[in-house]
Amino acid sequence: MKRWSNPAQILVSFIFLLLFLPLFLSQEPWPTAARDILAEEAEKQTGAENIVSAMYLGYRAFDTLGETIVLLIALSGTMSVVSLLKRNSEDVRTPVSLDFSLEEEKRAHHRLRTHLLEVVTGKIGPIILLFGFYVVMHGHLSPGGGFQGGAIIASGIIFFVLGNPHRREESEIQRTTLHLIESSAFLLFLLAALVPLFMTGEVLANPFEAKEIYIIALNTFIGLKVEPGSH
Amino acid sequence: MISPLLLLILFIISLHALIFNPSLMKKVFALNILNSAIVLLFITQGASLGSRAPFTTESPEQMVDPVVQALMLTAIVIGVCVTSFSLALVVHLHSRYGSFDYRHIRKGIANDR
Amino acid sequence: METTLLIMLIGLASCALLSKDLLSGIIALGAFSLFSAVIFLLSHAPDVAITEAAVGAGLTTIIFVWAIRHTGRDDR
Repeated sequence: MKRWSNPAQILVSFIFLLLFLPLFLSQEPWPTAARDILAEEAEKQTGAENIVSAMYLGYRAFDTLGETIVLLIALSGTMSVVSLLKRNSEDVRTPVSLDFSLEEEKRAHHRLRTHLLEVVTGKIGPIILLFGFYVVMHGHLSPGGGFQGGAIIASGIIFFVLGNPHRREESEIQRTTLHLIESSAFLLFLLAALVPLFMTGEVLANPFEAKEIYIIALNTFIGLKVEPGSH
Repeated sequence: MISPLLLLILFIISLHALIFNPSLMKKVFALNILNSAIVLLFITQGASLGSRAPFTTESPEQMVDPVVQALMLTAIVIGVCVTSFSLALVVHLHSRYGSFDYRHIRKGIANDR
Repeated sequence: METTLLIMLIGLASCALLSKDLLSGIIALGAFSLFSAVIFLLSHAPDVAITEAAVGAGLTTIIFVWAIRHTGRDDR
């Protein structure tokens, strides 16, 4: 199956193993200092009951800003590579299952779409959207927050796109709207980071102005998704 | 004590696939699993500290380490970025050269020159 | 409990890496993410669990399925 002809591969794998082996085999007890300080101080200093949120948007909010920029760059890189693809492969290999199929004239455009898919995704989509908004809004009290809720909202919108019985032109419109939302959300996040600079002299002084990240995360995946959704 | 060893096995499996599997798609899979293995290792090790989730509503003395959780949250999000970008590259290569195998792709690139 | 789940994770990972059909590999990868989310929940990390379930099991799977829609599902 394999030709063990390339010694560089074996060398690289050994180096990697030697680098990571101590991480897996160390017997050191985990340090407790950070845990103790955070348990005492986190709610007083940032106002969040969820300490992970307190760190994420309070202590290292500046790093979160950088992370959103990484998301944006990854998205734009992906989209630019994707836009180079030729849209040629109308795959005719896919078998059409007739059991739940749509009517004749619609089946030609939506080869893989059935009534089952439309009904299920159309019914579940709003519930998922609602749950996503709940996760975003309660990020400081319960598990969740911007990125997680944004991903859930993205799944809800993907369900809407899947359950949408109309043609692809509407999803094109939706795509430009989503790009608009994404850019304005990033601007809002930057604004929320900069406004405390003029008021108190600190960047990101109040942690809970930073909720807008979720739309960025949302559109990272929506941009990726609406592309195939516009089939 | 047993869980780091199991995660080490997972790490070795994915590292082997990452280096020796010729298929680029399997390499992306392996990157994903590698990321998950490291995240799992950190979370399970940080959880050895206590037996409560990091919320201040509960009693603070038995809490697990929140620092490692916040860091791993970032790691997961960045992992998705890496996955999507590398997948876009792989799809582009496949549409150009018609194969996931890097040897074929290398041959195709040599033919293009 | 955790040990059982970890052994299952190893099985799912090797299933994903060895399968000739890319679609079944992707499904195995999604199941991998879902089970690791369960492990995070058992390790008292609900934030990481919800992230892994939403991002790892949901969106990564969707991106992968989008990718093999462009390339075809056999690994060659």
